[in-house]
Amino acid sequence: MKPVISLQEVGIRYKRSGSIFSRKSYFDALKSVSFDIFPGETLGILGKNGAGKSTLLRVISGIIKPDSGKLINSGASVSLLALQTGFDLNLNGRDNAILSGMLQGYSRREVESRIDEIHDYSELGDFFYEPIRSYSTGMRARLGFSITTIICPDVLLVDEVLGVGDQHFKQKAELTMVAKTQSQQTVVLITHSHQQIARLCDRAILIDDGISFASGTPQEVLATYEKRLEKNS
Amino acid sequence: MRKAYPEHPDTWLQGAKASIELGDLPQAGELLQYSQQHFSSNPGTPSLAAELAMRKGEWDTADSILIDARYDFPENMSIWLKSSEFAIHNNKPELALEYNTKARQCAPEQLAPYLQYAELAMQSGQWELALERWKNVRSKFPKKPAGYHRAAEAARQLNQPKLARQLTLAHQYGEDVFDKSPTNNTQRKNKQNNLAQFLELIWVNARLNLRSETHRNYLSYGWWVLEPLLHMVVYYVVFALLLKRGGENFTVFLLTGLIPWMWFMKVVGGSSNSIIAGQNLMLQVGLRPITFPLVSILQFSIKQIPVFLLLISFVWLQGYSPNANWWSLIPVILVQALIIIAFACAVAALIPFIRDLSYLVPTGLTFLMFLSGIFYDYRRISPDWQEFFLLNPMAFLLKCYREIFMENTTPDMITLSLWGIGSAMACILLVFIFQRLRYVYPRVVLE
Repeated sequence: MKPVISLQEVGIRYKRSGSIFSRKSYFDALKSVSFDIFPGETLGILGKNGAGKSTLLRVISGIIKPDSGKLINSGASVSLLALQTGFDLNLNGRDNAILSGMLQGYSRREVESRIDEIHDYSELGDFFYEPIRSYSTGMRARLGFSITTIICPDVLLVDEVLGVGDQHFKQKAELTMVAKTQSQQTVVLITHSHQQIARLCDRAILIDDGISFASGTPQEVLATYEKRLEKNS
Repeated sequence: MRKAYPEHPDTWLQGAKASIELGDLPQAGELLQYSQQHFSSNPGTPSLAAELAMRKGEWDTADSILIDARYDFPENMSIWLKSSEFAIHNNKPELALEYNTKARQCAPEQLAPYLQYAELAMQSGQWELALERWKNVRSKFPKKPAGYHRAAEAARQLNQPKLARQLTLAHQYGEDVFDKSPTNNTQRKNKQNNLAQFLELIWVNARLNLRSETHRNYLSYGWWVLEPLLHMVVYYVVFALLLKRGGENFTVFLLTGLIPWMWFMKVVGGSSNSIIAGQNLMLQVGLRPITFPLVSILQFSIKQIPVFLLLISFVWLQGYSPNANWWSLIPVILVQALIIIAFACAVAALIPFIRDLSYLVPTGLTFLMFLSGIFYDYRRISPDWQEFFLLNPMAFLLKCYREIFMENTTPDMITLSLWGIGSAMACILLVFIFQRLRYVYPRVVLE
């Protein structure tokens, strides 16, 4: 099977630009990362905090270009599951939903045609027409998640978010996400939770210190991860 | 219980059952002996006796109990289940299946025979068949989600880890996880390339930003007019009343300069930091960097529309009635719009690279304000400098506005069109520059 996206020894180097009083220094967020993403699979990327996960997401979604190595995307649309993108506290839920959907690449008509779906999913009732300033954190999270339910790019990148909101909504959101990972949708799930990788993914990759180490079934990769942790401690 | 209701079979039978479960076989034997004597017509008795015999390894006893029981109670499910178990032990799968079929016929609403039915397939290694039977169990007894894990085991044996995972997840989340129709609108290619959609985004974004801004305040849209009005009052008080500048018509003179200038100033000042302010969107959804200055430009320009209308009505009220020359307002406003877009985009494009520049923007704008002839007529500066002075596009534009409103003449259309062409070309160049730097900005704002 041909990969939709292929990373070959990708490296990202950020400049820590100083002022005129201090020298420029560099910082390697990613050193050498290689792996393929195949259509329809759920790929787990496992790494500790600071392993370069967010940078990797930006590379995969094509927002920044690698400094070394190559990223080959065979024409797939990629988007990051971004909660509460572009939210404006003074606008009501509906306006925020439209704006957020449009910022994520949908036309106004497309978002408006699914606005009832978003409204129903969010369970916000009449609050949907109130400024989100008056929402609780949980309600805002509900609205944010509901908008993402209409988004289906060729490759969906998910960063840690599986369940949001209060207990009941959390379960619903989790179900939606889990169903997405198990469907034909190609999903890249970035997390440091072993359990999620084992439960949801077809395959996993281990990233540590900016380098991709192991790739294989979740069980194999988790085993390698444990071994590395032991060695380091 | 047994002392209170010695004539009730359940007290004895359940006791025996519990004893078997606990492994206390002698105790179970005693209890069953009692029930065999007193409740031989209860099918539970032989069923448990067979179970006990099998536990003890007394296979022949079990066999004979079951043969009799099948004859005595042909309609009893548990007898058939036990018989099936016995047949499995004796390595007679066909017979086990036959007994199991009987059990399912006797009690189609019971779970146990179906579980056994699926287990039979598991034990003979017919994984596909097992999967199908487990599925049957789940569909028949949706409230009893037994069998997900055994089905997952079957899927693993078939080397279908994905299915196995789904079955495990389905146990937790329900069968919805199997929903195979994830997308109503698959195959969306990079739609942002579509120009119409891009412009629509800018329009909607600017409008919603304005709505947000106005919802914040008590006076809401009133500020659109009130704020520039206050601004004008300040300049009027300082220059016309305190400094006694200008003489008659100074108010009209001041406003025809100040209002077009404020359009320029608000837009350039307002959009200068737009790319840095939009960094989250750029990094999260990969929005094109040029979107941010364009949204700001549109947003601040829309707010100037009522102010311009106010200016026109004010000029009219002051006795300068509209005439054919007023049509030239259209090209003048268009050229000003182009100049503003070019200038604002250029400033916004530079600032992420040299953030220190953002400190210079207000100072630079103030400097330009005094060089544009808002408070004085350009003809009052020395003639040697006049031509040079008018090279400032804003000074030239203010001259055009005054020619139209106050002097009843047509402005210099040739110079105006040169500025129009020049700024249009600058705009096109900036679009290319933004396109080239599309992947540079997200890093620049990060670094």
